Amino acid sequence: MSTTLSLSELDLPRRNGELAFDAPWQSTVLALAAAVVDHAFGGDREPFRQQLIKAVAAEPDRPYWESWTAALEALVESLPEQRNW
Amino acid sequence: MSEENHHHPAAVSPVERRVAALEALLTERGLVPDGFIEEITHRYESEIGPMNGAKVVARAWADPAYKERLLTDGTAAIAELGFGGAEGDHMVVVENTPAIHNVVVCTLCSCYPWPVLGLPPAWYKDPPYRARMVREPRALLAEMGCELPGNAEIRVWDSSAEVRYLVLPERPSGNEDMTEAELAGLVTRDSMIGVARL
Repeated sequence: MSTTLSLSELDLPRRNGELAFDAPWQSTVLALAAAVVDHAFGGDREPFRQQLIKAVAAEPDRPYWESWTAALEALVESLPEQRNW
Repeated sequence: MSEENHHHPAAVSPVERRVAALEALLTERGLVPDGFIEEITHRYESEIGPMNGAKVVARAWADPAYKERLLTDGTAAIAELGFGGAEGDHMVVVENTPAIHNVVVCTLCSCYPWPVLGLPPAWYKDPPYRARMVREPRALLAEMGCELPGNAEIRVWDSSAEVRYLVLPERPSGNEDMTEAELAGLVTRDSMIGVARL
């Protein structure tokens, strides 16, 4: 299978306003990451970004939103168990 | 119809279960306000996307003073049009000219200027694009249908934690009478990433 397979979506008519998500869980996990960044890290996205870099590097061919999920799991794992948010 | 279709009408995938578990845990910890997920989903499906970047580009084409501000301080000039926030804290706008073609990549993950382009397309996040755009940009651009004059310089901008890049494409000719809104209609997402020319 060609490694440039994913580039073929460029052939589709793509203009402004396209759908951003393929499935509801993808927007859910995006929103959950935003919630954690906002409410547990005071808006600092860097800790999440570092986890995302690790998750992507660990399995480069994994679908993007699954890497995103793994990154969020790792980030949540690093949070203190009990805290008054 | 096979038996399987009856027994698994809506099979939940492993990743869906993991996301549901995260949602339950984070909700229990009070980190997910009521309606937050719906709000974010709506925002990314309806309000945030390349149509925002297209307005920025059209304004720059129509208003030289705005273009100068945009190239000097992208974040502030983009905020003039009401766009900003997550993943757009430090925006740098790079201008295409006949001699210089700019293209944006994130080699480490998927950094992308969300407020003006929305979420990154699938290929932007995939390993072939992230690796090859640095190694062999001219060949990859050609594969993607973006042929450049042989003497054009290609500048590849690797997004980082702090900086998000937006390409200001060259204004096509023959549209001198267009309104700003009409000009915005000419601007594609791919031209603002730098994988297409207009």
